[in-house]
Amino acid sequence: MPQIITEQNLRNLIDLLVKEAKLVVGPKLSGSVVLYEPLTAGSDLTLDALPRRSSKELFFPICEDILSYKRENGSMKVTDVDRSQFPEAVLIGAPPCDAGSPAILDAVMSWDYKDEFYLERRRKSTIVGIACTKGDDACFCRAVGLAPDAEAGSDLFLTPLKDGSYACKAVTEKGEALVAAHRNLFAEGAGGDPVPFVDQGVGKLDLVKIKKWLEEHFEDPLWEKIADICVGCGACAFICPACHCFDINDEGSTDDGVRRKHWDACGFAKFTNHASGHNPRDVQNKRYRNRIMHKFKYYDGKFGKTLCTGCGRCIRACPVGIDIAEILETINSKQD
Amino acid sequence: MCKSENIYLPNLATIEAIVDETPDVRTLRLVFQDEQVRENFSFRAGQFAEYSSFGFGESTFCIASAPTRKGYIECCFRSVGRVTESLRRLEVGDTVGVRGPYGNSFPIEDFYGKSLVFIAGGIALPPLRTVIWNCLDLRDKFKDITIVYGARSEADLVYKHELKEWQERDDVRLVKCVDPGGAGPDFDGKVGFVPTVLEEAAPSAENTIALVCGPPIMIKFTLPVLERLGFTDDNIYTTLENRMKCGVGKCGRCNVGNVYVCKDGPVFTARQVKAMSQEF
Repeated sequence: MPQIITEQNLRNLIDLLVKEAKLVVGPKLSGSVVLYEPLTAGSDLTLDALPRRSSKELFFPICEDILSYKRENGSMKVTDVDRSQFPEAVLIGAPPCDAGSPAILDAVMSWDYKDEFYLERRRKSTIVGIACTKGDDACFCRAVGLAPDAEAGSDLFLTPLKDGSYACKAVTEKGEALVAAHRNLFAEGAGGDPVPFVDQGVGKLDLVKIKKWLEEHFEDPLWEKIADICVGCGACAFICPACHCFDINDEGSTDDGVRRKHWDACGFAKFTNHASGHNPRDVQNKRYRNRIMHKFKYYDGKFGKTLCTGCGRCIRACPVGIDIAEILETINSKQD
Repeated sequence: MCKSENIYLPNLATIEAIVDETPDVRTLRLVFQDEQVRENFSFRAGQFAEYSSFGFGESTFCIASAPTRKGYIECCFRSVGRVTESLRRLEVGDTVGVRGPYGNSFPIEDFYGKSLVFIAGGIALPPLRTVIWNCLDLRDKFKDITIVYGARSEADLVYKHELKEWQERDDVRLVKCVDPGGAGPDFDGKVGFVPTVLEEAAPSAENTIALVCGPPIMIKFTLPVLERLGFTDDNIYTTLENRMKCGVGKCGRCNVGNVYVCKDGPVFTARQVKAMSQEF
């Protein structure tokens, strides 16, 4: 049965979840920008703009401890992180380009070896996605198989209605459980007219064709033409909902400290530098080529998924104006 | 410690012995501190591990000792960065972390009944040394064993004590060489680049497996020589020495195209390498 929740009850739901000691994360005005941040009350939630950074960091923090070490009585002791202390979390108000990213990252984090840091946070989280009515020219979710109303990745999916309320659809058991636990905030019914989506600059692209072109054009003048201007700042990777490269380093002394996993980026010059000094991706266009190849060919080849949600953040943030959607369109339009 | 769950948690090992192979290459012999780990740890030749120096982080090296030698493992590394320089500062009795073994391995059982040619350059001998000793410990399972090993200079040859041992054995043919200009007055090997020396040594390709490890430039010039000698791409094995970090197919660092070197490799046949995007 379809459900409706009013905007006030959505905010009341957040209040209740916070009281239940859950970590509630959603778009919040932080200074002059909107970011995904912990909400302390329903009034914190703002759905006026796409948050500057993606919601990926709820599951895959920028930096997290993976162990601690301490020398005691001359012997080194290594202590695991108590992952049972990770909070029960609700991500609320994530548009499909953000709500959809964990569904993509689950594949790499759980194949063969399991990254329990990511997976434990996933198990303990519920995602309340929301149909996107705030898209702009940089958005291209349709190009990568998502859409402003795509439910992929959401446990409960909200569609904004013209009267200010939201149509709700429980997509998973977690979503059903969330509604069931707070049934008095929801009303039965299909609701009125949905708020229209904003047209995107880029429409649906033929990802199979793009992948085939990438397979056949590892060496192509396109890479130098489009990617030599990349400055390797890594901004695109750091705000991307799907990039998952990381490094591991220690912080502390040789006697007492923590080992941390932290984000890294394949656009950085030394990312693949061998100990010998040989660097397989020795110039920037090779590094940018890897970024495109990884998202639209390699990840698909390995896990059957596109490593991009079309959020457009990398386009908005690139200091030299590299437009990944434009590159995809260029490749899509090639005849050979 | 819930070992099974945290894939980044290392086992602790004590440095039991240190050998300086060259002025900047060092071998550490490591013994796991936990008795159960010490007894249960097993690996196959070609696999690698993540070695940590607490306070600095982790570095990736192959396990250089042979799986047939139980009770310890060895790693061999050149000091080039923060972690390796900190590992170098450690002394006998100090603790390091070891995660692994990771990656695939040389299919040694498939080599039974065949001759073997090992071709290594510089500090790329350790990934083959594990196989060499593995095979020498099972000597009667193989026919001829030839080792062609070269370095820039006499001083850069690693495992000098073992080269001597291989040279003196009558069931191994060792061809040792250094680049032109790299030999001292008493050098008892050949002077020349590895591919050239290999071609002169001309090991038979019949029923023979070639195992090649070295800098990309050496491999590039060695493969055509092997082809001229009659080796097929399926009978040539190498390891890709990509930069790695997590070792378990997550961190996105070691990919060559669709291939995760840490999971799908590091051991590949020449046929597999040639099928990859040329980005290594």
